[in-house]
Amino acid sequence: MSDQHAKNRNSASSHAAEAPAPAAGLVAAIRGASAEIRLTRLTALRSDFPEAAAREGGVELLLEESGAADLRRMAGEGGEAYYFSADSMTEAYALHLFRIEEKDPVRLVADTVRDDSRIYPRPTDVRVFADPPFSLPAREVAEVVARMEMRPDTADIKSGRASNGALYLYSDRFLEAAHAESLIEWIEVGQKENP
Amino acid sequence: MAATYGYTGKILRVNLTTGKISTDDTLKYKDFIGGEGMAMKIMWDEVAPGVTPYAPENKIVFGTGPLCGTGVPCSGRTNITSLLPSSPFHGVSSSHMGGYFATELKYSGWDMIVVEGKAANPVWLRIEDDKVKIEDARWMWGKGIFDTQAMVASFMGKEAQVAAIGQAGENLVNLSVIRTGSSHSAGGHGGVMGSKNLKAIGVKGTGSVKIAGDRKAWAELDKLMMSVIGANNQMVVPSSPQPWAEFNDKSSRWTGRKGLYWGAANPPVETGECDPHDMQSVGLRTMKAVFDFGPQAEKYTVRMGGCSHCPIRCHSQLKVPQLSKYGMDEYVSNTCMGWFSPRGVMFKGIKAFDGNSEADAAVVGPAIGAKLADDYGVWCNYGQIGRDLQYAYETGLLKKVLPADEYASIPWEKLEKGDATFLIDFYERVAFKKGEFSHIADGTYWLAERWKFGDDFWNGKVYKVWSRQGFPVHHSNEAGGQVGALISCFSNRDAQNHSHMNFIGSKLPIALQKEIAGEIFGSPDALDAPSDYKPMNEYKARFVKWSLGRSMLHNSLTVCNWMWPMSVSPLKERKYRGDTGLEAKFYSLATGIQLSEKELDEAAARCFTLFRAITQRQMGQKDLRVAHDQTTEWVTHAEKGKDGKEIPQFTKGTIAMEEKDMELGRTLVYREFGWDEKTGAPTRACLEKYGMADVAQDLASRGLLPV
Ligand code: SF4
Repeated sequence: MSDQHAKNRNSASSHAAEAPAPAAGLVAAIRGASAEIRLTRLTALRSDFPEAAAREGGVELLLEESGAADLRRMAGEGGEAYYFSADSMTEAYALHLFRIEEKDPVRLVADTVRDDSRIYPRPTDVRVFADPPFSLPAREVAEVVARMEMRPDTADIKSGRASNGALYLYSDRFLEAAHAESLIEWIEVGQKENP
Repeated sequence: MAATYGYTGKILRVNLTTGKISTDDTLKYKDFIGGEGMAMKIMWDEVAPGVTPYAPENKIVFGTGPLCGTGVPCSGRTNITSLLPSSPFHGVSSSHMGGYFATELKYSGWDMIVVEGKAANPVWLRIEDDKVKIEDARWMWGKGIFDTQAMVASFMGKEAQVAAIGQAGENLVNLSVIRTGSSHSAGGHGGVMGSKNLKAIGVKGTGSVKIAGDRKAWAELDKLMMSVIGANNQMVVPSSPQPWAEFNDKSSRWTGRKGLYWGAANPPVETGECDPHDMQSVGLRTMKAVFDFGPQAEKYTVRMGGCSHCPIRCHSQLKVPQLSKYGMDEYVSNTCMGWFSPRGVMFKGIKAFDGNSEADAAVVGPAIGAKLADDYGVWCNYGQIGRDLQYAYETGLLKKVLPADEYASIPWEKLEKGDATFLIDFYERVAFKKGEFSHIADGTYWLAERWKFGDDFWNGKVYKVWSRQGFPVHHSNEAGGQVGALISCFSNRDAQNHSHMNFIGSKLPIALQKEIAGEIFGSPDALDAPSDYKPMNEYKARFVKWSLGRSMLHNSLTVCNWMWPMSVSPLKERKYRGDTGLEAKFYSLATGIQLSEKELDEAAARCFTLFRAITQRQMGQKDLRVAHDQTTEWVTHAEKGKDGKEIPQFTKGTIAMEEKDMELGRTLVYREFGWDEKTGAPTRACLEKYGMADVAQDLASRGLLPV
């Protein structure tokens, strides 16, 4: 397994020499799931590959030593971990899937908003959470926004509305309020009037 | 004639007064590249200052360039140059249309058509390879563009490509278009064709465009091109998270994704993921219908259409059955402003009407407007016509300037209710010049003079007028800080410049964009993050010159400035870098004339400087900084935040420019071009450097050349 940056899945394969026998099944399972754009849970690997799980160091060590340079691991809550092949999806996309798998919609929204505010930087249209890959029901999105206002760990997430009423979120760790307000109006209204 | 490559080598000249049809040599103009550049040279040489747009002495030039017809991606564009009726000084300007007209013209053996004079009766021009005839158009006159195209096709066959005017052009409505295909409109010069009694041009060619270079090298270049091309407006990031993508941006035109369909196709076509390595899905990336209308447009979309040799296809072709209720064909096509400008006329919003839910009305309403504007051939002055109407209506001015019975005859209640059938009445009055109201399409400058618009109109941010010349903001400070703002200062109409936006709007993270800006312009400071602008610097001035030049270059080659230049790429393995040398590489291979990127940029700067000289000669002004390059006041006034307090310029959260800084910007851009730093007028040294000593001499003889 490698920490190098994900190569695109259509670019030359980054598979190392085929994984040694005990790890081969695990690697194939992860790659297969990734090809279908799914993450593979550590707990699922343990139950699907009981012999591997029973070895010293278990599934994790086997994968660690598999030499499969395309595989990536993400640590979740409560000891869970997720694997994917960077030949099939980018780390950015895997991160979305990871947040969905973790089933904490408040964190999913907050962390996605933080990433947008930090990376681009831009405020986030709440409607994106109703679309794939998030696909949260619209009512749930509204609830999440309401809950975020109460949670101290999401105190940095602020909301703003464009003149047409559209709701956007941003993190004030990365975007100042005035800047965010201006961007919201530009993205939602100005840009569309100036195609 | 010696073999020519890229160019066909021939310019068609048609004098409608005398009926004379003649041939000119393209290559004598080759220093001006093609299309717009060559047209500027013809306008300088042949149209004297003081000629008005509708006078027989005015010329209208339909131009292609050396890349048109070669298969270079997005090279199916026609550039049209003439005097602009809506401009206060009838400034020379260009309009552009896509479709298949330009390539057909090349295949018929012509690079350009120069039309002059005025026919005694309505005529149309029939071009079949080297057979050119002026035909009687009396039966076409009075018809809309759709019928006109069908009539021309009935004579020439359905392969013929037709550019035509509608009733608006015939009636010399200043805001009128020339259109080809079902939705490709060049705004501004329809009336010029009308003034010449020229209803249409039909063209059919059986030839080809020859390429000088090696085929393998061409194929390699094409491959490189396809590795950097993105979606429409060169947006290289998808609008939703995709397994292949590192980045995404909801406001991207790269809307293709799994589960999104051309819903009215039979069977429906899924756009799919559109991985950028898959060349077969390039045309599925830009599902423009949902971008322009929202998700409700999916079910109306038959497919995406566009211009010849364009893999992007940015025109939505819709099937809107509700249109038949109004006696219109249910198939309708358009893009961007074509949909937005009817929405702008409906400035109170489009609501549920005639049994359409609000969501459906959002598609049906603009579709009605687009159909009418496209048939009558009405232009919108880049959406400004709606804001002009809004001002006149909301201030009560309309009630004062219109006779009471005329005012009462306009179905204002429909406008108020958001019933888009208001547009049927609106476009008819405009196209047929019915009543005082029709002056709404004189163009903002002439309209404001006639109806006495106040300073509140010119200086109010809400009306978006960029210049006292009467053209609106178009990718200016709101998107590009000083770069966008300065680009808009050099036009005689809305800037129509996307060179900067196809980079600034790529949707890549700003840090990455700044790195790329550093590589192209010498410093990351050439680019600021949106709404986080910093004071002017020389790198921004370089960016401005580059953008102005590239737009001129694209309209000369002719390639689509809604895609080119290729500053960025969707591929991570390219580090998202594009290739700004692609135009020169294609030009050299196509024509056999070897020009580096820098040399081609210099040729474009020559053309732009000539455009500047024509503008100066037309205005008769020594000081273009004062007479031409200024903006309306809102552009440089501090904005107020939500708390009502002014946000100082150059702090986060404002797009406002600052007067002194803009003046510095003008100076720096003049310096980049080698123009006079005080007045912005081309100097003798600059003109001579570009081989235009004759232009310097002419300006000097009029007392316009800076000392
Ligand atoms: S991007 Fe659109 S306007 Fe440009 S060439 Fe392609 S279809 Fe035509």
